[in-house]
Amino acid sequence: MEHLTKIKEQAKTEIEACEDNASLQQLRILYLGKKGPIQEVMKTMKDLPKEERPAFGAQVNEVKNEISQLLEERKTILEEKEMLETMEQERIDITLSGYRPHMGNMHPLMIVQQELEDIFIGLGYQVAEGPEVECDLYNFERANIPKDHPARDMQDTFFINAEELLRTHTTAVQMRQLEKYHEEGKELIKVICPGKVYRRDDDDATHSHQFMQCEGLVVGKDIQLSDLKGTLSFMAKKMFGDKRIIRFRPSYFQFTEPSVEVDVSCHICGGKGCHVCKGTGWIEILGAGMIHPNVLEMAGFDSTKVSGFAFGMGIERVAMLKYGIDDIRSFYTNDLRFLKMFNRFE
Amino acid sequence: MLISRKWLSQYMDLGNRSMEEIADKITSAGLEVEGIIKMSEGSNLVIGHVCSCIDHPDSDHLHVCQVDLGDNIEQIVCGAPNVASGQKVIVAKVGAKLPDGEINAGMIRGQASNGMICSLLELGVDPHLLSEESKNGIEVLDENAPIGHSDPLGYLGLDDVILDIGLTPNRNDCMAAWAMAKEVGAILNLPVTLPVCDGMAMQEGLKATLKVASDTEKCPLFLGKVIHHVTIKESPKWMKELLHASGVKSINNVVDISNIVMLETGQPMHFYDKDALPSLEITVKDQMQTSYTALDKETYKILPDDIMITNQGKPIGIAGIMGGNDSKIEQTTRGIVLEAAIFHHVSIRNTARRLNLNTDASIRYQKGIEPLATYKALDRAVQLLIEYADASKIEETVVCGSNHYEPTELDVNLERINHLLGTNFTEAEVLNVLERLHLSPSKTSDDIHLMIPSYRQDLRIEADIAEEIIRILGYDHLDETLPTMPATLGMLDARQQMRRRLRNELTICGYQEAITYTLVSDQRNEDAILGLDEPVVLASPMSEDRKIVRRSILPSLLGSVAYNQNRSMKDVALFEISNVYGKNHVEEHLAIAMSGDIQSSRWQGIKIKADFYTMKGMLISLLSSLGFEGKRISVQPNTLDKVHFHPYQSACLYMGKELLAIFGTIHPKMAKQYDVSHVVMAELTLEPLMKQKPSKVKYMPISKYPSVTQDLAFVVSKDVNVADIIKAIEKNGKLDKEQVIVNIEVFDVYTGEHVEQGYKSIALSVTFQSSKRTLSETEIQSLREQILSALESDVHAILRK
Repeated sequence: MEHLTKIKEQAKTEIEACEDNASLQQLRILYLGKKGPIQEVMKTMKDLPKEERPAFGAQVNEVKNEISQLLEERKTILEEKEMLETMEQERIDITLSGYRPHMGNMHPLMIVQQELEDIFIGLGYQVAEGPEVECDLYNFERANIPKDHPARDMQDTFFINAEELLRTHTTAVQMRQLEKYHEEGKELIKVICPGKVYRRDDDDATHSHQFMQCEGLVVGKDIQLSDLKGTLSFMAKKMFGDKRIIRFRPSYFQFTEPSVEVDVSCHICGGKGCHVCKGTGWIEILGAGMIHPNVLEMAGFDSTKVSGFAFGMGIERVAMLKYGIDDIRSFYTNDLRFLKMFNRFE
Repeated sequence: MLISRKWLSQYMDLGNRSMEEIADKITSAGLEVEGIIKMSEGSNLVIGHVCSCIDHPDSDHLHVCQVDLGDNIEQIVCGAPNVASGQKVIVAKVGAKLPDGEINAGMIRGQASNGMICSLLELGVDPHLLSEESKNGIEVLDENAPIGHSDPLGYLGLDDVILDIGLTPNRNDCMAAWAMAKEVGAILNLPVTLPVCDGMAMQEGLKATLKVASDTEKCPLFLGKVIHHVTIKESPKWMKELLHASGVKSINNVVDISNIVMLETGQPMHFYDKDALPSLEITVKDQMQTSYTALDKETYKILPDDIMITNQGKPIGIAGIMGGNDSKIEQTTRGIVLEAAIFHHVSIRNTARRLNLNTDASIRYQKGIEPLATYKALDRAVQLLIEYADASKIEETVVCGSNHYEPTELDVNLERINHLLGTNFTEAEVLNVLERLHLSPSKTSDDIHLMIPSYRQDLRIEADIAEEIIRILGYDHLDETLPTMPATLGMLDARQQMRRRLRNELTICGYQEAITYTLVSDQRNEDAILGLDEPVVLASPMSEDRKIVRRSILPSLLGSVAYNQNRSMKDVALFEISNVYGKNHVEEHLAIAMSGDIQSSRWQGIKIKADFYTMKGMLISLLSSLGFEGKRISVQPNTLDKVHFHPYQSACLYMGKELLAIFGTIHPKMAKQYDVSHVVMAELTLEPLMKQKPSKVKYMPISKYPSVTQDLAFVVSKDVNVADIIKAIEKNGKLDKEQVIVNIEVFDVYTGEHVEQGYKSIALSVTFQSSKRTLSETEIQSLREQILSALESDVHAILRK
C-alpha cells in the first residue's frame, strides 16, 4: 500500500514539474504503460489471497485513475500555455493603419436635393421632373410672363430659337405638372420639382450660369397662404434645425399673388445677428406665394374652385448656408478635396 | 429708385421718425430699402473766413492760411489751388471725423496746421453731382455765409439722407416721387399732400402754331406745346437740392424743370429750343435708316425699328431715349417746345439695348409709365416754368393720339380674401388699409367696391388686393397651418429610384459624384461619346466654351479628371448622372471616368487598379444590382468608337440588341487633348434600363450536397477569348439534364517565359455541385475528361501537366 502511495506521490511531483506536452506523454507511458509501476503492482495481485484481491484491485485502479486525471489536468494547462505562447508570437502592431475601403460620396448639391426630396416625400409630395431644353410656353407664357413683359428681364435667358430656351427656373416643371394633372382630371397636386436651371450670368463667387432649384407646388380646394407658411416652417426646421422660425416679406413674382420672400432665422447665431445673416438675424432662402389665378386658368383649372401655393429655393444657396461655402463655383469644379468633405448625411 | 427725406418731407410730415425706422417699415411692406445714403458726412465742421493766405515758405503748392472760425482764429495749411484770402470756406476742426478719416493737429513742413479746409469730395459728396471747379478745389461759399455756423452741410443743403429702394417690377409706379410719397404715406399712415397743378397745360392760351403727327403705332400719344418766352437762369435752391438727392446734376432752370417733372411724375419730358427747330412741326416716325448724333455728341446707327422724333423729315431726337444736340436748351434759349409722349416700351427697350443707351428717360419708358402721367407731367411743367422761368406767351397744347385709359374698378369680398390668406381681418381693418392706399373703397351689399388709381396698374384682381391688405397690416398676422386635403402618396418614381440606387452603389464602391456644366464648347460637343444626334445650339452664347447643350457627359467629366490630376491627385474616380440632349430628344446618361487606384492599402499590398477590368466589373455589378444580368447582358468588341477609345482595350455593353454603354481605356490622342493620363471611362445610357423589366429576386434552396472544385491549366492561342473557353466548359457541364458546373473562375492568365510565342497560359477552377445528390469521383472525372476534349476540339487547348 505504502508503495502505491509512493508511486502516486512521485507521479504527482513529476507531472506537476512537467513543462511540455511531449514529456507529459513520456510520463503517461512511464507510469501507466505496460511496463510501468502500476502494472508492476497489479502483477503482484495474483500472490494475494483470493478474498483480498478485489479490495487490492480497487485500490490500484484508484491510484491509476488519479494519475490519469493528474495527467489530463496537466495536459489542459500545458495546452493552454502553449496556445498563449503561440499567440504571443502572433502579436501584431495595432497602430499600423487598417485597410479603409475608399468610399465615394454624393455631390453636396445632390445631398441637399435628396434631403429636400425626403422631407417633402414625408409630407406626401411626389417628385416631378421636366426638360431643361424647354419651350417658351412653359417657362414664360404659362407662368404669366407674356412676351415683351418687363419681368422677362429679371431672368436673362439662353435662347435656342424663338420658341426654345434653357429653362430659367423650375417653374417650367410646375407649369407642366399643372397641365398634366388637369388633363388627368385630378384636382389635388402635391409635387416638388428639383432640377438644373440656366441664366445668362457671368460666373463669379455668387453667380453661376447654371444652378439648381427646388420648387414646390400644392393645389387643392381650400389651400391658403397660412398653409404655405406652415409647410415652409416645417421644411425650415427639418433643414436647419428645430429652433428655426420663418417670416414672410412681401415680394413679387409673376406667377404668384400674393408673393412673398421667406426668411429663416439664422442657424449660425440663432437670430442674434452675425456675419452670415449680415447682422439681421434672418437669412433669405425662398420665394413663394399663392398661385396666380391666371396661371391656374391657363392650365385649365377653375380658379374660383381650386387654389394653391408654390415655393422655390436655390439648392446652391441652401448648401452654401448649410456648409458655410462662399464660392458657388466650387460646386462645379469637382475638386476631389472639396467633394470628399461631404462624406456624410447630417 | 432714390428718394430722400427732403423729397418725402415736401408731401408729408415725417415728424421725428428716423430714416432707419422709415426704411424698416417700408421694407417690411414690400419696398426693399437696399441702402441708406447720407449725401455728405463730417462732424465738427464750421464755416470759416480766410483772413489771410500766404504761400508756404517751404513748398511750391501749399498755402498757410489764418482762418476765422467765429470763436477763434486758427492757422491751417491748405493745398488747394483755389484757396484765397477773403473766402468763406468749410473747415473741419481738429477732431473732425470725415469719410476718409479723422483730422489731427500737426505740423506740415514746419508750419502748424490745426484743421482742414474742405472740398465737397472730402465730405463724401457724389462726384457725379459736382462741377469740375468743385471737384478740383475747396468749396467756396457765398459771401453771406455766417462765420462760425456749425452746420455748413445744412447751410449748403447737403444734409439730406437718401433711401435706395429696390422696386419689384410690379411697383415701377414708385419710380415717380408722387406715387412713392403716396405709398410711403400709406405705409406710415400719414396724410399726403401733392402739388396741385391739374389742368395747367390745358387752359386756354395762344392758338397753337405747332403741328404734331405720329406715323407709327409705337407712339400712341404725343402732347406738344410751344412757350414763346422763357428766361434761362439758375434753378432755385430747393430744386437743385432735390435733383442732387436724386443723383441728377443741375444745369439751368428749364432743363432742371424737365428733370424734376420726370422725377415727380415718372414721365420723361423733352424740351427743344424753339428757335433751333427749322419749323414748328414734329413728326414721330419709325422705318428710318440713318445715323444720328445725339445730345451726348455720339453718333448712333438708327434702324427701321427705332422710333425717331423728326422735323422736316430730319431726326431731332431718339424718341424716349435722348434728344439732339442741335435743339438743346442753351443759355441763349428764348422759347421752347415741350414734348410729353408715350412710346411703346418694347421698342424703347430694344433700341436702348442695341445702342447701349440707358438714360433716365429710357429706363422709365422700359418699365412702363402710368397712363395719366403724360398729362400730369405737362401740367406740372407749365406750372413750374411760369413760376421759375417766367414762362409767357404760352400756346395751347397740341394733342396727337390718346392714352386709351379706362379706369379700373374692382369688387372684392372680405370673406374670400380672408379665406385666401388664412386670416381673420375685420372689415374695419381692411377698409382702413384700402383708404390709406387711395383705393376709394365703398361698401356694396356683399362686396367692397374699389376705384383703382391710374398709377396702380398692378392692381387687377382680388388676389392683388389681398396682398395689399396683408403687406400693409403685416405678415406677422399669418398663422402657420398645413393644407387640409385628402392624403397623397409621397414617393419616388422608378427612374428616381434607379438613380438613387446607382448613386448608392457607385459611392459605396469608391466613386465620387461630380456635377459638370451642361453647356460645352464645339470641341467637347464633337467628342461626344454615345452622343445624341444633332446638337442643341444656343442662339447667342456668352462664350465659345458654353455654346452647345451637351450630348454626352464624358468630355466634361474628363475636364474634371484633368483638373484633379493637375493638382497631384492621381487616384480619381468620378461619376455623373445627367440628362443629355439632342434635337427633339433627351436621354439620361451615366458617365464614369477614373485613373490611378480605386482601392489601395500599400503596406498590405492591396491595390485595385483603375483599368478596363475594374470598369467592366463595376458596370456588370451595377446592372446586376438593378436586375439586369446573365444572358441579357453582353460585352462585345468595340466597333463603334475607336477615336476616343483605345481600339484594343475597349468594349460595348449591350442589353439584348440595345447598346447600353461604350467603355474602356481612353485613346492616347484624346488623353493628350484633354490633358489626362491613364484614364478608363464609360458612358452609359439609362434609357433601355427604364424600358426593360428587371429580373426579380429568385430564391433557390442552397444545395445540401458537397461541391468539388478542380483546377485546369492549359495553353491556347493568344487570340482565343476566355469567354469562348468558358462557353466550351459550360456546354459540357450537364449530368442527367442538370447543370452541375456551378462556377468557373479564371485565376491566372500568363504570357511570357515558358509559354510559346503567340500563346497564353490560362488557369481556371471549375466547381461541380448537384442539388440532388453527392457527385461521385468517377462522375466528376468523366465530366473533366469531357471538358478537356471539348477544349481541345473547340479552342485547341493543350492541357498543362
